[in-house]
Amino acid sequence: MTVDARSATELVDACAAVIVVLGVLLVTVRSIGRSIWMVALQSALVGLAAVAVGLATGSVHLIAGGLLAMAVKGVVVPLVLGSILRRSSVHHERHPLLPSRVSLVAAVAIVFAATAAADGVSPAASFAARRALPAAISLVLMGLLIVMTRRKALSLVVGLLVFENGIALAAFSLTYAMPFVVELGVLFDALLAVVVAWVYARRMLDVFGSLSTDELRSLRG
Amino acid sequence: MIELLVVLIVVAPVVAGVAAWFGDARLAQRLALAGLGPSIVAGTVLAVLVFANGPAHAFDGLVAVDAFGAYVLVLVLVVAGIVLAGSPGHLAHEQRSGALRADDPGRYYALLLWFAGGLAAVPLVDSLGLVWVAIEATTIVSALLVGFTRTPQAIEAAWKYLILGSIGIGFALLGTLLIYASSVGVLGETSDALAWTRLIGIAPRLDPAYVRLAFIFALAGYGTKAGLAPFHTWLPDAHSQAPSPISALLSGAALAVSLYALTRFHLVAVGALGPAYSSTLLVAFGLLSLAVALPFIVAQGDLKRLLAYSSIEHLGLATLALGFGGQLALLGFTLHLASHGLAKATAFLSAGRLVAERGSRRIGRLTGSLARSPADGLALVVAALVLAGLPPSGIFAAELAILFGGVSRGWGFAAAAAAVILALAVAGLLFHVMRVAVGPAGAKRKRDVEPAAGEPGDGETHAGRAGGSLGRALLLTVPLTVVVAAGLWTPSPVRAALDQVVLILGGGGG
Repeated sequence: MTVDARSATELVDACAAVIVVLGVLLVTVRSIGRSIWMVALQSALVGLAAVAVGLATGSVHLIAGGLLAMAVKGVVVPLVLGSILRRSSVHHERHPLLPSRVSLVAAVAIVFAATAAADGVSPAASFAARRALPAAISLVLMGLLIVMTRRKALSLVVGLLVFENGIALAAFSLTYAMPFVVELGVLFDALLAVVVAWVYARRMLDVFGSLSTDELRSLRG
Repeated sequence: MIELLVVLIVVAPVVAGVAAWFGDARLAQRLALAGLGPSIVAGTVLAVLVFANGPAHAFDGLVAVDAFGAYVLVLVLVVAGIVLAGSPGHLAHEQRSGALRADDPGRYYALLLWFAGGLAAVPLVDSLGLVWVAIEATTIVSALLVGFTRTPQAIEAAWKYLILGSIGIGFALLGTLLIYASSVGVLGETSDALAWTRLIGIAPRLDPAYVRLAFIFALAGYGTKAGLAPFHTWLPDAHSQAPSPISALLSGAALAVSLYALTRFHLVAVGALGPAYSSTLLVAFGLLSLAVALPFIVAQGDLKRLLAYSSIEHLGLATLALGFGGQLALLGFTLHLASHGLAKATAFLSAGRLVAERGSRRIGRLTGSLARSPADGLALVVAALVLAGLPPSGIFAAELAILFGGVSRGWGFAAAAAAVILALAVAGLLFHVMRVAVGPAGAKRKRDVEPAAGEPGDGETHAGRAGGSLGRALLLTVPLTVVVAAGLWTPSPVRAALDQVVLILGGGGG
């Protein structure tokens, strides 16, 4: 199957748009369950965009990397996170440090700032995927925003995944993709990090009885 | 030949770790020895080959080891060996105090082996991408070790380490990506577009805008892992909550490995942009780390946190030295990296034993340790004297070289500021450690340890009591002796090796 450059570009554009919208929703949503499947969908779309560019350019490793990312971050990771959520009694981010409305404004501001910043990067080569760069920068910043303003352990992991999605999108919008060994390693590390987060979330539930990071305030000085 | 050595160095510990995961304490301990022993021997052989014959390459460009890589590799493996030797005693103590579950020792050795294997892989791979993959893997594995005791504080420390570490190192990935984007423009899309051996050569042709941004992200990312201020906040928590042998590995080897990665970026940035840009940033962040660590050293009440903040101070100093550049400061940097690794590993092992015996990390509760546990108390005192930079020691010589080197390169103000901070930190560190050593011993104790059962042969299930205590004494004295001797006399092969490393750091070889 081959895809011509124009339809690949259209697909990447569409993916990037949905990815950014999901990012804005993730910044504002309070239900942890919903944020898990939204970030899974977002990860899958990042993978799909990679596959589209791979098909258009005939890059086998981009296709393989995209499919693998879809499977790992779109299916395995949400299953792992969902299994923690089921054990936890807290399913909502009740008191984030920023109210939802303020977060929404911040997220929109991030999208505008990222678009402006990406304009400054002069394309060294004409990648179709370069159009995803504003989306990539937005995602990195929105991931940081989520990590900084949320208090539940699972929300922090979701923020981390949004941040990683941003980096993955940046990877193939700047260069198509890094060498395949590196891509594999990065994906493997991401999976490992989620598994370790799962281990610690379980321990937190055992020891503190909740997943609130408010409990984690004893170490000072 | 090189291929076989590389397999022994990295694959042997990782495979032995998989087996150790399922073993009991005794089997896991033997597997750890079987995994790490050959790794240490092979690493040493590889380093000798590199120092004698020049850079080694293997696996079709995947592996490249120059003098700097070989030096860091040996440091990592030696510290890992010290940590492994100190582990049975630690675990036996934990076992007696009932803090361990049945399968914990196996898990501990497995994670330790993976951690060591990951660290050893970093200076071997010839790809900034794979350097990132290996460092991130060690972050995740060591996060499991930091929270190993499952106490609320340990879980807190591990969680912060995992989240902050992942965000930080995410930035390092962005930096790697930007370097790749710039080198793809020169080399085309080849798999060696991330190889630092290639990047050094083509550095002048890389897009400066990309390289500038890449270095900033690498500095934030690997700076987080190396404990540079203001990205250091996880470090005192993680290094104080981890089991003490793991603290030794984190402070002695993992920090040096992160600095290794940052150094590779620095060398590419120097090639692309000239020395001014990245050097200035390194000096600034080095000074900031020194300044930030100082008040926490002076006002510290927790022995392991004291050592952790001392690590931030020392990594700040090393970063400063890298920024100064020039033969003298870089010689200081090289000497400092190994001296700090060995001294800090010993300090954590001896402090860990004192902490385990008293059941508290508070300095006020550890007073009078020299009389109670002469071996560990003395080792801690000597290690602290060395870490404070008192003569004669490798750290003293390194600090002199770094400061004079800085002045001679026109960084007079920065060198003077660093000298003042170092002098104040000496006072803080020694005040606290002397209280631990010879302070009044009447302080409250959580748990009394019978003097007869406490000290000698405190662990090894298989070794006799006398053999255990001799081993313990050797474990504590040999690394410190090496560090002290390094300040007095460097044999000519060692000196030649140091010079080779300095040549690479100065951008002269590769």
